[in-house]
Amino acid sequence: MDRQIVITGIGVVTPVGTGCEEFWSNLLDGQSGIAPVKSFDTSAYNVHRGAEVKEFTAGDFVLNLDAAHLGRASQFAIAAARLALADAGVESSSLDQKRAGVSMGTTSGEPREIERFDDSFMSGALDRIGPEFLALYPCHVIAAHVASELGFAGVNTMIPTACAAGNYAIAHALDVMRAGRADLMLAGGSDAFSRITYTGFARLGAVAPEVCQPFDRFRKGMIPGEGAGVLVLEPLSSARRRGARIYAEVGGYGLSCDAHHMTAAHPEGAGAERAMQQALADSRTNAAKVSYISAHGTGTATNDRLETLAVKRVFKDLAGRIPISSIKSMLGHTMGAASAIEAAVCALAVFNDRVPPTINLNDADPECDLDYVPNFARDVRVNVAMNNAYAFGGNNASLILRKSVMN
Amino acid sequence: MISALGDSLAQVHDSLIHGLSAIKPIQLFNTEGLGCPLAGEIVDFDASKYLGQRNLRPLDRTSRLVASSAQLALQDSGWSMEMRNTEEVGLVLGTMFCSAHTISEFDRRALEAGPAYASPMDFSNTVINAASGQTAIVHNLKGVNTTISTGATSGLQAICYGADLIRSGRARAVLAGGAEELCFESFYGFDRAGLLCRSDTSAGDFPIPFDARRNGAALGEGAALLMLEDLVLARERGARILAEIKGHGSSYDCSRGHDDKQSVAAIAVAIRQALNDAFLLPHEIDCLSASARGSRSGDRREVEAVVSVFNCQTRHLPVTAVKSMLGETLGASGPLQAAAMLETIREGVLPGIPQLQQIEDGFPLKRACAGPKEVDVLNGLINSTGFDGHSCSLILSRYED
Amino acid sequence: MSTDDIRVKVKNSIAKITNISFDQIPDHASYKDDLQLDSLTILEIAVDAEYQFQVKLTDDDLGELRTVDDTVRMVQQYLSPVAA
Repeated sequence: MDRQIVITGIGVVTPVGTGCEEFWSNLLDGQSGIAPVKSFDTSAYNVHRGAEVKEFTAGDFVLNLDAAHLGRASQFAIAAARLALADAGVESSSLDQKRAGVSMGTTSGEPREIERFDDSFMSGALDRIGPEFLALYPCHVIAAHVASELGFAGVNTMIPTACAAGNYAIAHALDVMRAGRADLMLAGGSDAFSRITYTGFARLGAVAPEVCQPFDRFRKGMIPGEGAGVLVLEPLSSARRRGARIYAEVGGYGLSCDAHHMTAAHPEGAGAERAMQQALADSRTNAAKVSYISAHGTGTATNDRLETLAVKRVFKDLAGRIPISSIKSMLGHTMGAASAIEAAVCALAVFNDRVPPTINLNDADPECDLDYVPNFARDVRVNVAMNNAYAFGGNNASLILRKSVMN
Repeated sequence: MISALGDSLAQVHDSLIHGLSAIKPIQLFNTEGLGCPLAGEIVDFDASKYLGQRNLRPLDRTSRLVASSAQLALQDSGWSMEMRNTEEVGLVLGTMFCSAHTISEFDRRALEAGPAYASPMDFSNTVINAASGQTAIVHNLKGVNTTISTGATSGLQAICYGADLIRSGRARAVLAGGAEELCFESFYGFDRAGLLCRSDTSAGDFPIPFDARRNGAALGEGAALLMLEDLVLARERGARILAEIKGHGSSYDCSRGHDDKQSVAAIAVAIRQALNDAFLLPHEIDCLSASARGSRSGDRREVEAVVSVFNCQTRHLPVTAVKSMLGETLGASGPLQAAAMLETIREGVLPGIPQLQQIEDGFPLKRACAGPKEVDVLNGLINSTGFDGHSCSLILSRYED
Repeated sequence: MSTDDIRVKVKNSIAKITNISFDQIPDHASYKDDLQLDSLTILEIAVDAEYQFQVKLTDDDLGELRTVDDTVRMVQQYLSPVAA
């Protein structure tokens, strides 16, 4: 059984661009997707900005199912999946259906469907909600819709571990492939902009009013966003056989649970540290070999400080020499899609030997004293990249991507 | 386990053997205007019975169900807090909605009173991994913590995921299972989708899986967690071993339940994969805990799938359908079936399907009947099928030293 | 509304949210030290107080709420604003 599993395709729908090329180019340029929220009225809130996907036409990507009968997160997921398959040069009709699978992560699933339910409920018109509620709302529909659109009849899993979900979904896909249960897996995450999510984070005082400034002394919080990221995973042997472009190999992962608090990380970043250590051990990576870290870096006071602490505990003297950037500075926090998009970024970093910046970093917090690649992208030889993600509920996940033997 | 028939495995199995149904008129919320007024509700559920005097306000119903059943599972398996401080215990939870009620309440309060008055505590429970997060905090479970959401098969899938963690050496001890709460929001969805049974006669007559008169499912609620361990670890600590997970399989129906052939094929693939994974042939399965819930098409498709795998063996296969008494508990369904199977393996008695009087024509289930029957189970097959495409199968085997 | 009335309501709110009985909440209790409450619970108490009294605290105000007294004082301030 092939234990070397590689990434041969990347598809993304993000606030700074759709499709790998546009996205990567805009990211390296330091473009921000943060703007005034358009999808609902924020006048009753004390914050008004978010990172929404602009100009997305579901019909461009949803060809078999009816786009009008899909929630937004499903639309994003299908778009990213199609883009990833095209990027990999794979025709879904060429695959053994029963051995092609989907593993996706999310935080909210399809929140607009329950928001619609609530709106109807509140206006005494609940009878407006019909059978479509059950067909569109429960979060498993995201992976299900991707599979139905593409004809994938194999493993089909939804892992809703909130802000770390993308990493969990990719980790699961890796295991499925190594166990020989699939020939190809689409793995990633998707989340749609949600009033519920925005309200919650705003109420927690976690939302920044203007920009997202991870690691900056004056950072004021995170900015909710939306999007999707999907990777094509296949065995190295099959990628070689068909002469596919290989971005990177998925080396391994580590998962841990803080078991401490629902919305606050462990005060010493212990869970984050364990996830990183496990990822290094799982992938048999020497800490000295890590050339880039994609941080969780939400821009909140506590996350950035604790994450820095955890990185230092794991990498010790090496920590200061590893470029570590947070693309949430540009994309905002795309929730369940975040770590999937960030994994895509790690794959692109490995492939291109270039790393994106942390923008809006003007005056680093003295407690955040690592090299966060401030404001400008940089050429770096990236042999091994680590992708970190931390979620509500204390779910922590670290993923290791590295140059494939073919690169 | 916390179920509508009780929280003790032996007691619940006894109720199942005696054909006691938990499906009754709903008390938890107003069912006026709904087509189906019945469900397998856990009446007077009081989590403090299991979790003591700790503040439960931060935990919603789903979290309480999970944390409570985790308490029971940890006690039952002998994993003390002391042990959990030295060895990481993981948690893999399957749930379809986690809490649609909490999510909805949070949203409605913000709509009504304004976003400034939204409840921060409720917000932390609006994520679908909330129950597994809360449970890890309550019980100091620091190992792998994952939530799986694949519709009605979520719980059985979670057990498969947990088993694979152990097989691959990523974990040595994992609590795996599922949970689902009864709430107006999700219930309404099923009611409007026309999936629930209609009953003009007294409660308890429906649902009737496999019966020609069946007219839909009844929902239920509950939580069940199994402590899965690496055999070496279990032996080392002298644990009592209830059964072995021999194999599992899963697949997806791309037609999302719209195409008969594809639906049947998906269920059959899951069963075959489980058999292959377990290195067993169909005739080595001694009984089946079916996913059948009283659905006209769902039950039929499962039978067709079983026939396609077992052929003429089907008529010799003892079959039960515990959703007839517990209701369709969604995320909890597969784990509750698994728990009941453990007792069946131990006691040698398989629950019947109460009210089953006329098996539908063409269902070659000679050994499905209303009353319990004696069985000698070395290998038991558990099926879990979703409403819109997912299928999962698990094989539990008697453990022999 | 008198200070005592406000305090009673705030304490009831705390009791509901923390499951600590009313009588066991000292009038001048510190949330962290006396009641061992975490930040999420303290925020929930603050939001509940805002809701009950129909006032709106700023983020800075929220950061200042460390004791029952702080909450009572803050509510009073917003209920009867005095020109600075």
